[in-house]
Amino acid sequence: MQRLLALASGGLPPLLFFLLVLCAWQGAVTLFDIKPFLLPGPLLVARAAAENLPRLLSAALLTAVGALLGLCLSLAFGFLVSLLFSQSRLIERSLYPYAIFLQTVPIVAVAPLIVLWIGYGLPGVVAVAFILSLFPVIANTTAGLTRVDPRLLDLFALNNASRWQVLFRLRVPGAVPQMLTGARISSGLSVIGAIVGEFFAGYGTRDFGLGYLIILTNGQARTDYLFACILFCTLLGLSIFTAVGALSGFLLRRWTGTTN
Amino acid sequence: MSLPMLALLAGLLAACSPREEEPAAGALPRVQLALNWFPEAEHGGFYAARVHGLYEARGVDVDILGGGPDAPVIQRVATGEVAFGVTNADDVLYARARQAPVVALMASYQVNPRCIMVHRASGIEEIGRIEGITLAMSQRPAYSHYLRWKYPFKDVRIVPYPGNVTRFLMDEDFAQQGYVTSEPFVARARGADPRALLVADIGFNPYATVLVASEATIAGNPGLVAAVVGGSVEGWEKYLEDPGPTNRRIHALNPEMSLEVLAYGAEASTPLVLDAVAREKGIGAMTLERWRELCSQMSDAGLIEAEEVAVEAAFTLRFLP
Repeated sequence: MQRLLALASGGLPPLLFFLLVLCAWQGAVTLFDIKPFLLPGPLLVARAAAENLPRLLSAALLTAVGALLGLCLSLAFGFLVSLLFSQSRLIERSLYPYAIFLQTVPIVAVAPLIVLWIGYGLPGVVAVAFILSLFPVIANTTAGLTRVDPRLLDLFALNNASRWQVLFRLRVPGAVPQMLTGARISSGLSVIGAIVGEFFAGYGTRDFGLGYLIILTNGQARTDYLFACILFCTLLGLSIFTAVGALSGFLLRRWTGTTN
Repeated sequence: MSLPMLALLAGLLAACSPREEEPAAGALPRVQLALNWFPEAEHGGFYAARVHGLYEARGVDVDILGGGPDAPVIQRVATGEVAFGVTNADDVLYARARQAPVVALMASYQVNPRCIMVHRASGIEEIGRIEGITLAMSQRPAYSHYLRWKYPFKDVRIVPYPGNVTRFLMDEDFAQQGYVTSEPFVARARGADPRALLVADIGFNPYATVLVASEATIAGNPGLVAAVVGGSVEGWEKYLEDPGPTNRRIHALNPEMSLEVLAYGAEASTPLVLDAVAREKGIGAMTLERWRELCSQMSDAGLIEAEEVAVEAAFTLRFLP
């Protein structure tokens, strides 16, 4: 009961603020007579979302598949790259700048090339989501793997631990909290990557992701529907972020007995 | 519309648009005309009117603003931020369905230059017969939704438009959208053997490169509107006659457009601008039947609700010379 109350009092202020913003928004639209093609009020947006709910849901599901596949790929690949980085300062120093390149590359400019090389459809979408979400995984995991308590390293050395043992008994377990931080940052980016990927790669004839709906509704000046699409993109990003967060909380409790 | 946010947005947009050099005009009233794409042959008539001083001769100084992908022409015209804009008939109906008060004043292209470009080797000769290949179409314009609605496109994979012809050149089983005035020429110059299938030939033919203004501009300043429409119509006549000087101006503004592409564009535009109707009624002519037909086609394809749009109010012929 106390927990519920705490939850309510924690959730109440942001909820009230949200309602306040909605009222101000609707009020401004009504008061200044803003035409719906410029800025639709929240009521219109809600109606557009309700009318197009099946399509929005199936689009969000498809986008979620692209984003999650891209995220899983970048977690797996990023982990391997970080293992490599942790084994040699030289490798890390030579390759790290190129990992940063992934972070700074203008994805909108590169996406058409990726589609040209990898092809249309889901593989292209996943590739863009992968590239966009890779760097935080590498950066955080590498930091976790390399910043180990020197006293623990000494302890392992004193006991004649092999390189493998240092890596898998000390570095990797110690890096888990950092890895999960990277995964949480990347979860939001993977959704953005999937949507940008859909702008260029699409899924084929009858399947539409949120990226497709954004371009469609923008082109047809259906601003209320466009707002509904943006709302669903945000909700999708939030759900994936929350899911990854919950998963990492669960893992951390099992792994280290603490929550990050 | 006097919201600070809009003003800010407008300022940003204005800052982003490539602007033509300032002419040394006197005290002529100055208006802006926003294009829907970077300067190209499809805007030839408006630039020709500038080059040959046809707007000035009617007592108005028209500043042509280049556009680009997603250029919000209709929105800028509807809010009065620019007086005139260039867009396509399907976009006018979309806008009217969303209560944006824009009105078409003249139609440059009687025949819409939109085509689907296939490889000649594919043996495909009609859009309705496209089968078993990849077809790249933008999801923005109405035609792509109309085609999807009208044809089964058996085993066709419809993908987003890549913005250039690179994949077309690589892949024999690939078809893409284009303007018959441009893409086939570019593809041919790079070694392909394309066939252009006009979308207008299957009966979906929205007027293209349509000059629009807001209802407020038309009501408040009909003299100005008549001057701009008159200058534009004469500009198109001049452009089709002698595109050379205008093409050099467009090339200077948009060096991506080579003089060869522009010359091809002007030549290919001639039968599309000056078809039988335009020969009889003059360049820029529009008919209620054509607008009605477009509205019912867009409604059939589920793009707009026909009752949302009063077709008669979407265009006016009163300013045509």
